[in-house]
Amino acid sequence: MAQDDGNPLTAAVPPAGGPYLAVRDIVFAYGRGTPALNGLSMEIGRGRLVTVLGPNGSGKTTLLRVLVGLLAPAAGEVRLAGVRLDQYPRGALARRVAYVPQDTHSALGFTVLETVLMGRSPHTGALGFEASGDWLAAREALRMTGTEPFAERSLDELSGGERQRVVIARALAQAPELILLDEPTAFLDIKHQHAIYGLLRRLVREGNLTVLCVSHDLSLAAAYADDLALLDAGRVVATGRPGDVLRPEVLSPVYDTPIEVRTDEATGRPYLLPRPPA
Amino acid sequence: MRVRPFTSRGYVGGILVGFGVWAVVAAVAVGIGGRLWAWDSVAQMRNVLALRLEWVMTASVVGAALALAGLAFQALLRNPLAEPYILGVSGGAGLGFILCQLFLSVVLAPLLGFAGALATVVIVYTVAQRRGRIEPYTLLLSGVIINAVYGAAIMLLTALARPEQRGDIAVWMMGNIGAFGPQWPLIVIVGALAAGVAALFALFAKGFNLVAVGEDTAGALGVNVGRLRLVTFVAASLVTGASVALAGPIGFVGLICPHLMRMLLGPDHRRLVPATLFFGATFLVLADFAACLWEGAGNRALPVGVLTAMCGGPFFIYLLRTRWRRMMETR
Repeated sequence: MAQDDGNPLTAAVPPAGGPYLAVRDIVFAYGRGTPALNGLSMEIGRGRLVTVLGPNGSGKTTLLRVLVGLLAPAAGEVRLAGVRLDQYPRGALARRVAYVPQDTHSALGFTVLETVLMGRSPHTGALGFEASGDWLAAREALRMTGTEPFAERSLDELSGGERQRVVIARALAQAPELILLDEPTAFLDIKHQHAIYGLLRRLVREGNLTVLCVSHDLSLAAAYADDLALLDAGRVVATGRPGDVLRPEVLSPVYDTPIEVRTDEATGRPYLLPRPPA
Repeated sequence: MRVRPFTSRGYVGGILVGFGVWAVVAAVAVGIGGRLWAWDSVAQMRNVLALRLEWVMTASVVGAALALAGLAFQALLRNPLAEPYILGVSGGAGLGFILCQLFLSVVLAPLLGFAGALATVVIVYTVAQRRGRIEPYTLLLSGVIINAVYGAAIMLLTALARPEQRGDIAVWMMGNIGAFGPQWPLIVIVGALAAGVAALFALFAKGFNLVAVGEDTAGALGVNVGRLRLVTFVAASLVTGASVALAGPIGFVGLICPHLMRMLLGPDHRRLVPATLFFGATFLVLADFAACLWEGAGNRALPVGVLTAMCGGPFFIYLLRTRWRRMMETR
């Protein structure tokens, strides 16, 4: 719950109102290098599918790691449901926010079901005893991601696409309000890319979840996301509906390459023309 | 293997089974082991059984301590071949212990043993780390090298020691149970430490599972990874140092026991912590019992550390060919 700490922002943003996730002017640097995040601000409404775009090294992964509480920003603040992120106890934050990192290997041969059950970890007690509710949540997560057929198989026997769905299932079993995904479609073929984005779309629509997803594929992001946010050098340089962000005059300077955008007549959504720069 | 729900009922049942297996094996090892020495009077019988009990309890607490330390190192370093002896942690404890025993005070020796173990963990961890990740090959290699350095240092100490002390150092370095006088106070201390560390690791088991999957994953699921790692390394060094003070550096217990339990129960640390506690105790009692039978058959006493190393070496190679390969391929 929001505490009155004399901060005018706290008074101005009551927990019920305001954006679900509000990021204000955050700065973060690894070591003494140039800041990976340099005064980044963005807002995300509840029940939206938002995709964060940007060139390599623009701070996308760092942003996710700040939002899930793995990194503490040097300046600025993040508010989740009106409460500052650093005021959440670890367990409480893990019950609200789930994270799907990019590398998803398992060294010690856990099965798919065991992996998904780990998502229940913030909900179980100190010794980790599981109640029937934990198993129901895990089974439901397997069903939603279509990973039930290989529930008993070892995670390292699966293909990249299957493994990605299992890790998303673990995030779902966590029963969060917000899921953060780091390039969930990297290394996947076109069919599995659509499968993952279709799944995220369904989760937002049916599960009332908020999804924030990092991607390099601008056209795919524009086809599925409610909103896009474009990062460059640790700041948000453009945000809004796909049609507002995917414009040549916005993208070309950020990616430092000429970019042509067309519109899909069937959906009205923009896509990039894969034309070699002259 | 089908995954079954992890419930409090199954947990208590498992602990009772583990304790029962250990108790039966320990009772057999005391009784039958004692029978190998003929006794003429009740007083003599009492002496023999008391001595056997002391040895069996030594083996139990040392086995439990080393097996738990091995399990913790494997989980947190994400390396199936990590083990106190292989990483040089036992060697560090041994060096500290001998140094203290020869030149400082005998009473403080276990403390310096703990310091040696902890210092070794810090060194090996620092050497093997690159950009926040532990490199599996470098980790094992730094263990090899630090073991070589400690070996040389212990040889130097042996050379500097008085001739009558040399035999003791050599016997102790082999990893021996009951080679030296009555040690009940130390047995109780190591036993209490092993039990405390087992309880601590039972609370950490969820975190061990998550760290094995990935540190970011663990952090995102509410685990304080930095604190978990620090407390676990200190605890594992503490029990290793204490058990080395009691029985010398006994190798491979921390490798064999956790892996046999993994083959039986799967990779879930919530089950592995209690299982490894009881199996570690049982395993070293069995090894000591085997050494005792060997002696009873009219041979000279066999140091139990020799026996575990003879089992552990081939087991290490087996793991290298199976688990290690799989780990490197899925990385």
